[in-house]
Amino acid sequence: MEKITKELLGKTAMVTGGTKGIGKAIADKLAASGATVVVTARKPSEEKTEHHFIAADLTDSGAIAELTEKLIDRYGTPDILINNVGGTSSPAGGFQMLSDEDWNRDIELNLLASIRLDKAIVSKMVEKKSGAVVHISSLNGKIPLYQSNFSYGVMKSALNAYSKTLANEVAKHGIRVNTVSPGMVRTTAMESFLESYAQSIGKTVAEAAQQIMDGLGGVPMNRLAEPEEIANMVAFLVSDGAGYITGANMLVDGGTYPAV
Amino acid sequence: MEKELTGKIALVTGGTKGIGKAIADRLSEAGAVVIVAARNHPGDENLKHHFISADITVSGETDNIVGVINKKYGAIDILVNNMGGSNSPSGGFGVLTDEHWDSDLQLNLQSAVRIDRAILPQMVAKKNGVIIHISSVTGTLPVYESLGAYAVAKAALNNYSKSLSKEFSRKGIRVVTVSPGMVKTDTMDAYLQSLADTSGLGIEEVTQNLMSSLGGIPIGRMALPEEIAELVGFLVSPKASYITGVNYIIDGGANPSL
Repeated sequence: MEKITKELLGKTAMVTGGTKGIGKAIADKLAASGATVVVTARKPSEEKTEHHFIAADLTDSGAIAELTEKLIDRYGTPDILINNVGGTSSPAGGFQMLSDEDWNRDIELNLLASIRLDKAIVSKMVEKKSGAVVHISSLNGKIPLYQSNFSYGVMKSALNAYSKTLANEVAKHGIRVNTVSPGMVRTTAMESFLESYAQSIGKTVAEAAQQIMDGLGGVPMNRLAEPEEIANMVAFLVSDGAGYITGANMLVDGGTYPAV
Repeated sequence: MEKELTGKIALVTGGTKGIGKAIADRLSEAGAVVIVAARNHPGDENLKHHFISADITVSGETDNIVGVINKKYGAIDILVNNMGGSNSPSGGFGVLTDEHWDSDLQLNLQSAVRIDRAILPQMVAKKNGVIIHISSVTGTLPVYESLGAYAVAKAALNNYSKSLSKEFSRKGIRVVTVSPGMVKTDTMDAYLQSLADTSGLGIEEVTQNLMSSLGGIPIGRMALPEEIAELVGFLVSPKASYITGVNYIIDGGANPSL
C-alpha cells in the first residue's frame, strides 16, 4: 500500500470542539496528515488520544485570552484554525418557542465563539503572513428549518457572512478563510438532537430524521454523512493544494441543497 | 501522492493543455489510467496520457470515442468535462453574432451534454461514477466585454450539472461543478494579448482590468492550473464520497457574494 503523504507535516492546528463527532474526525484527519493537533473543549476526551488538549469554554469571552496565551506559549501561532464548536439546545416547535436566552445562547456558541477566537489568533497569523481558517457551518445556514432548529440556521447564516467578510479582509495577508457546510452527519450529537426533536413532536427517531430530510427537500445520496467525509474536505481546504481557495462555502451535503 | 485512483479509468476532455492537462497529470499521479481527448495530438511533447482524437462539438463523435475507450481500456469511472472556451471577439454584446452564440453554447454546454449522455449508461450500470463539469466563475459573475456568451453558456452548464446530479446521485453517480476564476494558462495569456491588441493597452493593464471587471481578486493573483487540478483530484477521489450537486468556486475570493 502506498504511503500516505504527510502533507501537513510541520504544521500546527487548533480544532475547537475537537473531542467528539465532526471535531474529533477533523482532529484525527489533520493528525494523520502530519499536523500537530491541539484540541480545545470544556472537558478532555474520555478516549485515549494523541491530540494535545487545552480546556476552555468558548462561550466565555474571558476564556479566549487565556486559551490563546496557552496555545501560543506551548505550540506557537497555529498554521491552521478549525472553528468547529457549535450546536443548539434551543427548543423545537417554531419561532414562538424561542426565548431571548435561547437566541443569545445560539449567538454565543455558533457565532461569537468563532469571532472571538479568530480575533485573537488571526492577528497572529497576520504577523506570520500565513494561515488557514475554516468555519464549520451547516447546510441549515442556506436551507433554514423553522420547525426543528430555527435559531441555529439563522446563526449559521450569520457565520457564513462573517467568514466571507473576514476572508476578503485577510486575503492580502496570506490567510485563507473558508466555510464548510455539512448536511446531516451521523454523530452522537445528531442522535441526541433527533431524540429530543422526536420527543417534542411525538414521533420515533426514524420518523423525526425522515421529517427533517423531507424538510430539506430530500437527500439525493439517501444517507447521512460520516464525520470522516466532512473531515476530508477540511483537511483538503487547509492543505497547500487548496492555495487558491478562499472566501468559499464548500457544501458537503450529499446533494441536498436544491438550487444551482 | 496517495494512489487512491488506482484501477480507475478517467477521461479528460481537452486534456492536452492548460487546466485539462494539469488535471490529467494529477489524476495519473493518483494512479488512474487517463485518456485525454482533444482535436489535435499535442505533437512531439512527451504525452504521458493515452490520447484519443475527437472533436466533441461534432454530434456523433462522442459515441465513437466512448466505444473506442471502452474496448481498449474498459468502462469509464471518472469523466472530467474540461473542454470549453470561446472564440468570440471583444467589444460587448453588440458584436456577438448568432454564430458566436451558437459556437459558445456548443463548446461549453452541448459538448458536455453529449459526452455525459454517451457515458452515463455505463456509470449507471456500474452504480458508480464521477462526472466533473469544469465551468467558470463567469457563470455566476458574468463579464460582458468579450465573454458575454461564454458566461451564459457556463451559467447554463451550472444549472445542467445540478439537474444531472439530482437525477443520478441516487444511482451512485456524483456530479460536481468546478468554477475557476482567472487561471494562468497559455490560452489566458493569448486572450490577454488579444485584449491588449484590441485596446492598445499593455498586458499588465488589461490583466488588471480583467481582474477589476470581476471585482478584484482578494488573493491578488491568477490561479495556477495545478491548483484547479488539486481540487478536481480531491473531488474524484473516495475522500469526496458525500460531495455531489455542488458548484465549488475556486477564484481567490473574487466572487463577492455569499
